[in-house]
Amino acid sequence: MYSLLNRINTRLHLFMTVPAALLYGIFFIYPLIQGIGISMTDSNGVTEPNFIGLQNFIEFFNDDRAKGALMNTIYFAVGSAPLLNIFGLAYALFLDQNIRGRTFIRTIVYMPAVISPLIMGYIWYFIMQPQRGFLYHVLESMHLGFLNGNWLADSSTALNVIIMVNVWQFVGMTMIIYLAGLQGIPGELYEASKIDGAGYLARLRYVTIPMLYPAIKINVVTNIIGSLAVFEIIMAMTEGGPGYATESMSIFIMRMMYGSFTGYSTAVALIMFVVIVIPVFIFLRATKSKEMEM
Amino acid sequence: MKKVSILAIKYIVYGVMVAISIVPFYILFYLSVNSPSRSYFESMNLLPDWQFYNYMEAWKQSNIGLSIFNSIVITVGALVLLVLLASAAGYSIARFPNVFNRTVFIVLLLCMMIPAIIVTVPLYTLMKDIGGINSRWAMTLLQTSTMLPFAVFLYTSFIKSIPKEIEESAIIDGCTHFTAFWRVTFHFLKPVNSSVVILAGMRIWNNYDQAIFFLQDSSVRTIPLAVSAFFQKYGADWNLMAAASMIGLLPAVLLFLFFQKSFVKGITTGAIKG
Repeated sequence: MYSLLNRINTRLHLFMTVPAALLYGIFFIYPLIQGIGISMTDSNGVTEPNFIGLQNFIEFFNDDRAKGALMNTIYFAVGSAPLLNIFGLAYALFLDQNIRGRTFIRTIVYMPAVISPLIMGYIWYFIMQPQRGFLYHVLESMHLGFLNGNWLADSSTALNVIIMVNVWQFVGMTMIIYLAGLQGIPGELYEASKIDGAGYLARLRYVTIPMLYPAIKINVVTNIIGSLAVFEIIMAMTEGGPGYATESMSIFIMRMMYGSFTGYSTAVALIMFVVIVIPVFIFLRATKSKEMEM
Repeated sequence: MKKVSILAIKYIVYGVMVAISIVPFYILFYLSVNSPSRSYFESMNLLPDWQFYNYMEAWKQSNIGLSIFNSIVITVGALVLLVLLASAAGYSIARFPNVFNRTVFIVLLLCMMIPAIIVTVPLYTLMKDIGGINSRWAMTLLQTSTMLPFAVFLYTSFIKSIPKEIEESAIIDGCTHFTAFWRVTFHFLKPVNSSVVILAGMRIWNNYDQAIFFLQDSSVRTIPLAVSAFFQKYGADWNLMAAASMIGLLPAVLLFLFFQKSFVKGITTGAIKG
């Protein structure tokens, strides 16, 4: 008996993953697997569900609203990720210099990421109000009133405005990762390239950017993941409107769920999963070979 | 002379960066201390009329004290669990990569990419079965689980960057690997603890897309739910919404300022080098 306890005791370190795995298994893996089953039924949360095979998945490709939500989500991610990275990197390069007060500026620039995206959305909804919003009067007072419009009610601009708000909020987050990456670049590399006669842009191109690959990878992946899950900002600013012009996958899934299309919404959720995993996987593969080359 | 003007340009750029970041905070503050009749910009008027009464009214109407309590219970509980579970898992994965540990790690990495909303329907059934609807402890466990992949990833890469030797002397002194972790290695994890507390803490504190499903009763609702209620129940009440938001923002900002020093260090070693 003692030796058994002793054996357990000395091997305890091998099982330290178990509590985490168990919790994640219960709250994520188990529902995910169950979801695959539900997606093949006509479940509506009330009556007994019937097995209908892949009908929900076929239905998705005939559903213009669902396809629109998918396109909006992709548009949002493809618009947000490059902007976040360009501005995030520019911010980081600016704030990486030895200058007084940079810690303070970094903190302030990061701050918007602390606000709940929902509240951020409400704030911008208020700023963007036609006639009575903040931006309307700023433009009026600058004699740029002709630029004013009802951006959030116009289906051609609403999603772009939401992208801008997202970038505004999370540029500090992206910046922090780049700053961390910049601090890991050894100074000798810069000195060597200076001796070789490289100017600022050449150093950026041949030293900084290649050395930042791990940071770029993390940022692009987290930005894409975050963007594809976008929910709160849109709920606060347009609730998916006008019409369905800004409806994202998450919002569509939630609406279907509340509309008792439980089976269908789960099928759409699984399609969303595939849509997210494939580009991220391709990107990770592509950057992996890039790093090998270096 | 040239040097001075370059410095001037730099500070102008910094000024613009700071101004851009402050705008949303100012608007929120402006709204929170303005009287309802002035809740929209009638003209270019950047000064509010200092109605601090809004804060009292928002506090009373939305019962936001209770919401702060709920948010604190859920966030602190989830963070404590997260740090314990994820650091233990990260240690086991980083130091003893057997088949089970490697599988757990790969599954977590893959699932890190999946938005939580995907499992909402089956999760709702599960939560109903375990009595987890409108319950703070179930929400705490759910939030811990949602942030686990990310936290385990940070801990694993950080622990890989710490030399094994620091545990070895403890093991020679008769500790098992398990106790050596809690007595020795755990004390080296401070930077990554800060990163996890800040990044996961903000996400949990601000969580809305899960809270909206699982915390429907007003007695258990968290701050984002209380704030959004000003738009549904009371018909877009901007000033009270802003005041409630400001109150709810304060703990998050304090948490961030408190942990931010070691936060960057944790990200550097945890995410970039891993």
